[in-house]
Amino acid sequence: MYRFFFWVSLLMVVMLIVPTYLEACPACKTLDDPIGKGFNWSILFMMAMPFAVFGVIGGTVYLHYRRANRKPMD
Amino acid sequence: MMAQNNVEMRESDRPPLSNARLGVLVLLGAETMLFSGLIGTFLVFRVGNVTWPPPSHIGIELPRVVTGINTALLLLSGYTMFQAWRAIQKDSVKQLRNWLLITGMLGLLFLGVQGSEWVQLIRNGLTLQSGVYGGIFYVLIGCHAVHVLSAVIWVFIVFGMAMAGRFSASRYTGVDTCTIYWIFVVALWPILYVLVYLL
Repeated sequence: MYRFFFWVSLLMVVMLIVPTYLEACPACKTLDDPIGKGFNWSILFMMAMPFAVFGVIGGTVYLHYRRANRKPMD
Repeated sequence: MMAQNNVEMRESDRPPLSNARLGVLVLLGAETMLFSGLIGTFLVFRVGNVTWPPPSHIGIELPRVVTGINTALLLLSGYTMFQAWRAIQKDSVKQLRNWLLITGMLGLLFLGVQGSEWVQLIRNGLTLQSGVYGGIFYVLIGCHAVHVLSAVIWVFIVFGMAMAGRFSASRYTGVDTCTIYWIFVVALWPILYVLVYLL
């Protein structure tokens, strides 16, 4: 377990120090390019959507249950 | 007395969020992901092109003003649907029918205006095969139009059920789920309008 955390920490430090060598996304290298910007905005938008969807569904379920639990006390 | 107790038991056993409502929420979650994929595709092309519409489509103008008025009509239908929902909560079936009919008509009017716009655009040379501009326009706006059409059909089914006296202040799941779907379709449109027509 200790070894695992050691290697993960080391990897994170390497990623912070030499980020240019670790670019996995080819679109990120061309950020000045309009197509790169387009991909970037699209990725950011689509990345946010699952959180928004689960947030709204989860929030609605939570609010309904909270309201139902409050009713007997009123 | 026994029967009364049974009814009370059944009401207390009901989950705070009905299965129908949860089902529609999950459906809308899937719909949101579908539209985010399409909007994401649009963003790649829109931000990726310095000139928009692309040079091959210069001269083709999207009808911004007419669509703006159409947007207002659809937003108004959201209000009328909300009024229908409020009417059944007050046990007013007659008002429910009227508001549902107005909502359905507004939805049909929206689709009619969209259809006439499309005919004009096709005549001007903007088709699904004419390039990326036409392709993303018809797929994105067409996908929404299909959703409006299905929502209109749903509203008229609910209207028919209301005519048959199937709803009351204590039993209106059909109206409830239809309202959620309609509000989703209405709320989605201004986002698409701004993205596709104004940006």
